[in-house]
Amino acid sequence: MIAHTAIAVNPLPRAPGRYPFRRLAPYLFALLVVAITVAVAFLLPWLFPHASRSLLFLTGVLVVAARSSLGPSLMASFLSFLAFNFFFTEPVHTFKVADDGDFTTLAFFLLVSALSGNLASRMRQEMAQRRASLERISHLYAFSRRLASAAGTDEVLDALTDQLALLPGTPPVAIRVFLTAVGESPRDTSPPREVRRHGDDRALAPPAVEEVWVRGIPEPGHHGDWLLLPLATDRGAFGLVALAEIPDPEQLELARNLCAQAAVALDRTRLVTDLAGARLAAETEQLRAALLSSVSHDLRTPLAAIIGSATSLLEYGEAFSAADRRDLLTTVANAAQHLDRHIQNLLDMTRLGQGKLQIQRDWVDLRDLIAGALARLAEVLTGLEVEVRISPEVPLLWVQGTLIEQALVNLLDNAAKFSPPGGRIAIQAEPRDQELVIDLCDQGPGIPAEERERIFDMFYSVSRGDRHDRGGSGLGLAICRGMIAAHGGQIQALPGEAGWGTRMRLRLPLVNAEVTPKPEGTP
Amino acid sequence: MTTPAETLLIVEDEAQIRKFVRISLEAQGYQVLEARLGEEGLATCLASPPHLVILDLGLPDLDGMDFIRRLRAWSTLPILVLSVRASETEKIQALDAGANDYVTKPFGIGELMARIRVLLRKEERRATPSPQFTFPGLRVDLARREVEVDGSPVSLSRKEFALLSLLVAGQGQVLTHERILREVWGAGHQEDTHYLRVLVGNLRQKLGDDPMRPRFILTVQGVGYRLAV
Repeated sequence: MIAHTAIAVNPLPRAPGRYPFRRLAPYLFALLVVAITVAVAFLLPWLFPHASRSLLFLTGVLVVAARSSLGPSLMASFLSFLAFNFFFTEPVHTFKVADDGDFTTLAFFLLVSALSGNLASRMRQEMAQRRASLERISHLYAFSRRLASAAGTDEVLDALTDQLALLPGTPPVAIRVFLTAVGESPRDTSPPREVRRHGDDRALAPPAVEEVWVRGIPEPGHHGDWLLLPLATDRGAFGLVALAEIPDPEQLELARNLCAQAAVALDRTRLVTDLAGARLAAETEQLRAALLSSVSHDLRTPLAAIIGSATSLLEYGEAFSAADRRDLLTTVANAAQHLDRHIQNLLDMTRLGQGKLQIQRDWVDLRDLIAGALARLAEVLTGLEVEVRISPEVPLLWVQGTLIEQALVNLLDNAAKFSPPGGRIAIQAEPRDQELVIDLCDQGPGIPAEERERIFDMFYSVSRGDRHDRGGSGLGLAICRGMIAAHGGQIQALPGEAGWGTRMRLRLPLVNAEVTPKPEGTP
Repeated sequence: MTTPAETLLIVEDEAQIRKFVRISLEAQGYQVLEARLGEEGLATCLASPPHLVILDLGLPDLDGMDFIRRLRAWSTLPILVLSVRASETEKIQALDAGANDYVTKPFGIGELMARIRVLLRKEERRATPSPQFTFPGLRVDLARREVEVDGSPVSLSRKEFALLSLLVAGQGQVLTHERILREVWGAGHQEDTHYLRVLVGNLRQKLGDDPMRPRFILTVQGVGYRLAV
């Protein structure tokens, strides 16, 4: 915790002009009360014939004592004594006292009024102090409540500056908060940077902060007009609060308390940020590991087939039958094409990942894209039935054809991987509310509802580790989503037709839909 | 089908690719010259002009585009470009610079052979011009403006015929969008790809060509069109 070293704080000169009246007011009040008492004492015989005038004067003194301090109440008792003597003891209208008994009464009167005045004024002062400390406590309490609910560093800083600006009495005219960067250990790092600025824009020279920072854990201290308070916990200091012109020690104490509380809260929020950073780093690391495993698997599997087949042919080629040789060579060619597709995926993903994908749009016929995708996957699709239905209402698309074709290739490739032998893949396309909707249905095992969104995560299938036998890297769908998203479109996985299989729905906004192909057959 | 003793030059720095291309081409009866560098290739073109140049765009000493421009400065001999995937812009640039066609790496030998045959056949045709073109299922007479599909005459609009003539004259060579737009609509329409998409749709319809399984007009995504041969 912070050492609360006592430092000399020069109280500011009290604002002139307001104080003379404030000081005189209680005396005027005392005078007024005595005058009223005298008036009432004259009326007393008519109102209450048996009442004692001396008790009336005593009441007046008590009223003054209760509402003011010792001075005015002493003045009130003395004035009351004189007035009583002058108006109501024999001889009237002189300050002489004829009767000994009256004299004794007067003496007691002065003593009692002085005692009770003193007592009452002390009580009042205590009450005032208690009210002030209550105010301070509620101030701190409101502040800690705000800190407790603060989710981030910014909110804590906002709360701190707001609260400092609301200090009871004369709030500081300027507030600056400085913090070190998150994640840096205290002291051995660069000086804290200004993160909050409140109040007038008088300058606190940056060297001042650096100087204080380098010199050691900053104790609250003065620097020109500025009072510097540390933001520190037992884990070390990580910031400074600078306040311009703090008027009195009580405020300084309160400001210090606020800073200490804020420091604890800041320590917490900064720790959370640190943890989040660490978690991100861990996730990145996981992603990198997944990528490595995916790349090495996806590249090595076809390579193994290629090397194996090629070396077999080299070594024993002459011993093989023509059919076997051809078979091995087909394996080499297919595996190489497989490899080529994976490399294409990796390249696409890199371009998408770097956010460098700038799409070059042009007018494209959807049928060309689907035809192109089907042609590129001719081998993969052998043995499957592909049905294409494109509504004649589908207009020309304003897209980068190669990207949409690649997205279709990835979707079809995926559908083919999960289709049973002889299965049917249906492609339907139609415009719907300024969107082109392309549905691609397969008869595969389908995707459980809770996974339908996650399959578009990069490496999702990799992390599940169960799709390698199908030759998927998990990149295909993520790339597909990236390419569609680059066009402002969306892709989602839905349950297939009749409750089985998968329906991949691709939606592309139709830009400039007014340009539609002329109906076929009309020149 | 092939005309033996036609000479092809391959300019490519990867020895393994040069090797498999040479072996395959020689097996088809062509004579093959090899060059590892661009300058070397240009020198060979001067010293003993081949019938066709196969040019890799990624040469260590010379930018592929420069090679094409320098060769085009004095020669019209066909150039077939080898280009990497995912770079439609590069392909279009090469075609605009004067290359006749391209094959995307990695490629199968069948595709390369098909492109080479198209270019050589076109060269051969230049020697003995005739307005008649006959392909399986399609006959086009440019002089009489007659088109027949599977023996039945088809009537085309002026622009449809212009487009078909271009594709037919290319004989399977790829034509960029820009070139087709320039030649059919005229300069200033190079950006109007949507005209072209609509026209191709109409032409396919009239030729009875299924856009999902085209018999005659093939789309080369992001680049242009070619006639299926």
